[in-house]
Amino acid sequence: MLSNKEIVSTLEMLKNENLDVRTVTLGINLFDCISHNLKRAQEKIRTKILKQAGNLVNTCNQVGDKYGIPVVNKRIAVSPIAVVGAPFTSKELVEIAKTLNKSAEEVNIDFIGGFSALVEKGIANCDMALIQAIPRALAETQRVCASVNVASTRAGINMNVVSLMGKTIKKAAALTSGQEGLACTKLCVFANIPQDVPFMAGAYLGIGEPDTVINVGISGPGVIKKAVDRALLADPNLDLGKISELIKRTAYKVTRLGELIGREVAEMLNIRFGVVDLSLAPSPKVGDSVGEIFQSLGLLNIGVPGTTAALALLNDAVKKGGAFASSHVGGLSGAFIPVSEDLNISDAADSGHLSLEKLEAMTSVCSVGLDMVAIPGDTSADTVAAIIADEMAIGVINNKTTAARLIPVPGKKAGDSVFFGGLLGKTTIIKVNNAQGDNRFVRLGGPIPAPIQSLKN
Amino acid sequence: MRFPCRTSCAGRDCESFNPQVLNHKLKTIIVRRMNKLIISILGDDRPGIIAAVSRVLFQQDCNIENVSQTILQSEFSAIFILSVPEGLTIDELNRHLNKKLSPLNLYFHVKKLSKNKENTAKPEDSEPFVITTIGPDRKGLVAEITKVIADYNVNVTNLKAVFKGGDVPGNNIMIYEVDIPITTNQNKFCTELRQKAQSLNLDVTIQHRNIFMALNRI
Repeated sequence: MLSNKEIVSTLEMLKNENLDVRTVTLGINLFDCISHNLKRAQEKIRTKILKQAGNLVNTCNQVGDKYGIPVVNKRIAVSPIAVVGAPFTSKELVEIAKTLNKSAEEVNIDFIGGFSALVEKGIANCDMALIQAIPRALAETQRVCASVNVASTRAGINMNVVSLMGKTIKKAAALTSGQEGLACTKLCVFANIPQDVPFMAGAYLGIGEPDTVINVGISGPGVIKKAVDRALLADPNLDLGKISELIKRTAYKVTRLGELIGREVAEMLNIRFGVVDLSLAPSPKVGDSVGEIFQSLGLLNIGVPGTTAALALLNDAVKKGGAFASSHVGGLSGAFIPVSEDLNISDAADSGHLSLEKLEAMTSVCSVGLDMVAIPGDTSADTVAAIIADEMAIGVINNKTTAARLIPVPGKKAGDSVFFGGLLGKTTIIKVNNAQGDNRFVRLGGPIPAPIQSLKN
Repeated sequence: MRFPCRTSCAGRDCESFNPQVLNHKLKTIIVRRMNKLIISILGDDRPGIIAAVSRVLFQQDCNIENVSQTILQSEFSAIFILSVPEGLTIDELNRHLNKKLSPLNLYFHVKKLSKNKENTAKPEDSEPFVITTIGPDRKGLVAEITKVIADYNVNVTNLKAVFKGGDVPGNNIMIYEVDIPITTNQNKFCTELRQKAQSLNLDVTIQHRNIFMALNRI
């Protein structure tokens, strides 16, 4: 028998705090679609995606209706296209991207990830072709997402590719200059990329994964914020240890819910359930913001002194609660700080409380990295590469995932507003300090060797 | 060595050389000959009521199979289902209970449990939901809500209602745990329930029971 308190507190979570399942992502292995013939490969890819994902959206909606909890996004992650499309030129890989886009449209999902290459140690011809294809692939499609893993704790940082990614990002921005550099919002550069991320733009299906798998990304920053608000209202002198415990318990509940729904979707589709990614993923609406949690914790705004410590507390408590709730935790799991996708963080960038340097510091304790950061359009490719290199170093040395999703918005300067639309949101362009002059460092190339902590065996 | 039976069958049915076989035979015979009774008890709450009832039942060689007990405001209420030995009549049990419970100002009723009544409560193909209403008290709320529930052949498996007045949500709440048959048009049912709740100035939610279990139980 359920107690009144259990029922009332659960309903409160569901009704007033923007609790939803942020994404159900279907991983599809495309290695059995490899062919030397472009048309044949395209047909096989399309057929497999339609066969496996044909019922994804309906099933998610059915389960969402049954439980009264919406599955906001339904997405697909495929095997790294650099491998699937290894025989093809970069021009042909753009055609593969279009096939992915069309297939995504046909099964009615908003994003398909996996236009990806794993090049942390070296770059094969197929990887080079894919990276060269990225700007056009993203500019000429709407739903395809790309990711490139350029570093890992085991391999170090591939600075040749970091430099190349600086140029690639600039080119992608230039090809979508009429849309504020929109192509860059679908491109992530990673260190230590997980194989089972359900969140875009970094989702791809790892090589060690099954043929098909359902991974779930939960959300719930609004739930955490309200829980903190309520607790502090009841006891304004609550200390941080108790607040951490509260966040942990709340994250537990949110994770349980995500797993419940993910498992039911997987069961209905007769597909293996993979992991719950227990990340606090914001969206550009009031009450669904990670940034607002910082204010609830007593900071003026995200970005002011104390922010990194608060984020460390938040990220850790979310992980602990989530890990207890599910035996299958994966992906990024922690707190996201995507600037344009979070109304509050975007406002902090606008008010000047949040700088690029502070964001970088925060990424050393959060689950991702410099996410959806709009920078001036005239930022040089070398500077973009250098920012990426800094971010990768944090990931490699701390043995964690970091990523950079930078948008050098063509024709715009620091302080200008930029609007990407939908879940991608809007933001103010952040100033890149001390970017004058030549940056020979990133052009020296070669590897930054794997750190001593890679020698674990 | 032979182990003779000492029950009323005088050993004719269960005489055996093996103690384990004898035990099994005895159990089988006892179950076959046991009747089941249901007892409901109401009265002012005070310490010792369950102890008094269960003492009488024990003394009369009854076996308690299920108990549900709760306190509403200051009123004690309980339902016992028990198996009773052959030969113990309802009148006899009434007499024993009356002797013990009357001084405690308790009212009780004993009736025979119909055969085949066990395991019939839950329809086979249904989904468990929790319907919650929150809002100001007035006469007829339970009647109005349960009419809609009954119209759709939805079975209430547990109901709790508290009306204390004021604005605190938990103080004016009805919680119906229900089984909705899968053949029921759930959308139509939910829509009608919401309309009814709105007309009664109630805020209603209909959520699958699994959610509450997943979030609150390890």
